[in-house]
Amino acid sequence: MMAGTFLGYERENGDVGVRNWVGIVSIMDNTNPITRAVCNAVQGTLPITTLFVRGQYGRDLEITYNTIAGMARNPNIASVVLIGLEGQTTEEIARRIRPSGKRIEMVTVQDMEGGTIGAVADATRKSARLAIAASGLRRKQFPASMLRIGVECGGSDTTSGLSCNPTIGRMSDRLVDDGGTIIISETSEFFGAEHLFAQRAADPEVRQKFLDRVTGLEREAMSIGMDIRGTNPTPDNIRGGLTTIEEKALGAMVKSGSSPLVGVLDYGEAPVRKGLHFLAAPAPAVENMTAMAAAGCQMIFFGTGVGNPIGNMVSPTVKVSGNVNTLRKMPENIDFDVTDILEKGSAVAPIGDRLYDFALQVASGTRTTSEVLDQRETAISRFGATI
Amino acid sequence: MSRAIVLNAADNVATLIDSGRAAEPCKLQGEASLTLTISSDIPFGHKVCVRDLAAGAEVLKYGQVIGRASQAIRAGDHVHTHNVEAARGRGDQTGGAK
Repeated sequence: MMAGTFLGYERENGDVGVRNWVGIVSIMDNTNPITRAVCNAVQGTLPITTLFVRGQYGRDLEITYNTIAGMARNPNIASVVLIGLEGQTTEEIARRIRPSGKRIEMVTVQDMEGGTIGAVADATRKSARLAIAASGLRRKQFPASMLRIGVECGGSDTTSGLSCNPTIGRMSDRLVDDGGTIIISETSEFFGAEHLFAQRAADPEVRQKFLDRVTGLEREAMSIGMDIRGTNPTPDNIRGGLTTIEEKALGAMVKSGSSPLVGVLDYGEAPVRKGLHFLAAPAPAVENMTAMAAAGCQMIFFGTGVGNPIGNMVSPTVKVSGNVNTLRKMPENIDFDVTDILEKGSAVAPIGDRLYDFALQVASGTRTTSEVLDQRETAISRFGATI
Repeated sequence: MSRAIVLNAADNVATLIDSGRAAEPCKLQGEASLTLTISSDIPFGHKVCVRDLAAGAEVLKYGQVIGRASQAIRAGDHVHTHNVEAARGRGDQTGGAK
């Protein structure tokens, strides 16, 4: 493999996947059991489940539709089988996936003979055909510029800001230098660091859009009348030595490296250009990574201190830690060990360069701990009530 | 002896990369190089005060404000939620006003 390249799966629209799953997609929470049954029956499929949808409305429903469709459009998905209760909502999602050019099959329970038994049988048949078709695709060499990587942190402690996050930051700079895309998110984890990040905005409009997202969320949080400490930083963050949200934010931001901020995205949106983007989405890892997968990230790099093993379904998640105790207690949940930074005083840059090489290996098929141990979950954030 | 990292010359706290024991020395690394005596046990990853702070003083790490001392803090003291207040996300102080 040439430097700055990886082996991926070319999609109909020119995107490149690092995995090649048939996505079995629940259109509503009430079809999740069918989705899981189909995935148990057919190798090469991936369950993309959801909660709610029924009863959601307005902006909240729009975000949910875009997020489900975004995960289905992710380049790691070869083709999709949509599992709906009724046809109209299923078509709403299908319409948003079609521009990707992927093959889409639909199964709607109310239109089946035989209820859920019939739906499972029909979806199993369709999924098996798609899985065999997908397996015929071969990996080819592509430049790293085709990669879009989400940078995340969770189970943070004070080692995060000193070791794993700066290492991820170096990888972020390498990918942006090679013409690729980095997405950093977790809006609340800019409280106290936003003035530094805002300086990197490519133009005043991007700067203002970013600051509006951060101050808007803080205002909303404060309207509850509580100190957010204890919720964020979380109890395990505090046990790990993080004292305030400001301290956590300053350590979290370094995952983005040092390149200019070129765009700001909202939940359910995907970038239209290359370079560093900010995605306004809630900080907890599962819902945040769901937004990253919907934004088309083929991989997520996840810095952890005290240890948070969860990964995303669609977007293989690489766990990076620099906490010696975590490496001792849960080594099988960590993909990349950066403990030399604190233990031996090793420089960050060469370790970050190795992490970038590792990113290209994972992009080429090397599997991650959260994939092989199936520590993966999906949760679309809610922004409104149901009726 | 434990070790602690000072990230910026302006910082008044350092992060321990070992567990620190009361009355034992802690060697500062990074942007400072003195050795100080720890006043109480400090867990791995937690912070030690490197310069006496008056109540209300800004607590600095990464050369940035991470909060305010809620009481006087002496060099060698454990610095954490018991003696540092956050300035952000404090709906409790604004009574829920936006």
